[in-house]
Amino acid sequence: MTQSQPAQAGAPMITFSNVQKRYGAVPALIDINAEVARGEVVVVCGPSGSGKSTLIRTVNRLEEIQAGSIQFDGQEVHGSLRGKQLNRLRSRIGFVFQSFNLFPHLSALDNVMLSPIKINGASREAARATAMRLLDRVGLSNKIQSFPAQLSGGQQQRVAIARALAMEPPAMLFDEPTSALDPEMVGEVLAVMRSLASEGMTMMCVTHEMGFARDVADRVWFMDAGRILEAATPDEFFRNPQHERAKRFLADLRH
Amino acid sequence: MIADIITIVRDNWLLLLVGQYPNGPLGGIAATLILSVLSIALAFPVSVLLALARLSKAPLLYWPATAVVFIARGVPLLMLILWTYFMVPIITGYNVPGFATMLVTLVIYEGAFLSEIVRGGILALGRGQMEAAKALGHGGASAMLYIILPQALFNVLPSILSQFVSAIKETTLGYVINVPELTFAANQINNQLLTKPFQVFFILALIYYVVCWSLTRAATLLERRIVTKRSGLSGAPLALTATAATVEP
Repeated sequence: MTQSQPAQAGAPMITFSNVQKRYGAVPALIDINAEVARGEVVVVCGPSGSGKSTLIRTVNRLEEIQAGSIQFDGQEVHGSLRGKQLNRLRSRIGFVFQSFNLFPHLSALDNVMLSPIKINGASREAARATAMRLLDRVGLSNKIQSFPAQLSGGQQQRVAIARALAMEPPAMLFDEPTSALDPEMVGEVLAVMRSLASEGMTMMCVTHEMGFARDVADRVWFMDAGRILEAATPDEFFRNPQHERAKRFLADLRH
Repeated sequence: MIADIITIVRDNWLLLLVGQYPNGPLGGIAATLILSVLSIALAFPVSVLLALARLSKAPLLYWPATAVVFIARGVPLLMLILWTYFMVPIITGYNVPGFATMLVTLVIYEGAFLSEIVRGGILALGRGQMEAAKALGHGGASAMLYIILPQALFNVLPSILSQFVSAIKETTLGYVINVPELTFAANQINNQLLTKPFQVFFILALIYYVVCWSLTRAATLLERRIVTKRSGLSGAPLALTATAATVEP
């Protein structure tokens, strides 16, 4: 609580300034300058290998950057941040993985309860009440005692979203949350994401679900070869993409 | 032949079971089991620390731990025992009893082997678990304690049990520094009888086999239960670690 200086209401939630990242000699992110405003839903799309996942993973520093800066809620993410401060910051950034990454040795309920107890020092009762509320919210109040191995992919991803929400993050990041799911389970996860967006959650979503982008996103970022080529409203982006690469990408999607 | 064996067992069962206890030091199967249980119980925490040090990026942790593991794995156990037996009194000036010497040596030796099992168990979990822990705000210690180790140690339980079986067999080497364990007891019997070495050492082999086979069997059953329990999730690495665990008696 003490460290999260509540930034001014107008300030962006996430700011990328001149971000550069390389894997060895291979550039992964080039000159990224962008902002996610408070309450905004940004969908990041682009061909595979364009740097979308790398970009979203730099926000909570699962990936390091070589130059530039990233601010989350007014706080510098990279640079000198270490140890406990970094952990504290990460706990305020909800992150949902493509492969769910639930803890398989814990029940759905314990997956959601673990971090509030161990990191925030919440009491078991309080953590349990929060976890029950969140699991109910993602439609899994009848699965609280199930282990991840007993849940479908869509159910696991919904538990993962509840787990991230339990830390009460001011923003949620989604790294291809539906890409590992069977088609019939995509809808249930997107529904949860839609409801989060409708409640004003700040969201940054890497996804290939263009229907979701069209309906829910405030802005779409199109990435290719490590750069953000376009940042536009979904309406502009889908109707009138500026770059040749974006046009081809959209044409390929329609096939 | 069978009659001989029965007679020998009938006359010497107490010696085989507990050695000369209570008139002398505890020996026989009891000493063998106590030595192997203690060695694994003490080697276990050592192995977790060694494994974590070997996975650490800090050179001050990584290199000493790696040296211990490589030396312990790279020399014969008997040599390690003789070194401890003869060197510790020279260095410290105290005479250390054979049992303690054997226990310390086994803890180092088993600790090194177990640490590689534990390290494998941690690596087999894959990056995702650690990333998920970090993303939620767990520090390294918290992630290890609540997320990584509970899974990794559970998955390598069969391998740990197999290592315990190895430890039982390794206690026989205590014989060379006069630790009164089971082999020592059998040799005492043989020295009294003089004419029945085959029968005596057949009994010895049979006892070791029954103990080790039962434990290996238990390891196999445990492994199957774990694979079943964990099946349905990203089970491949788990199944692999578990399969690698089976050791023949």
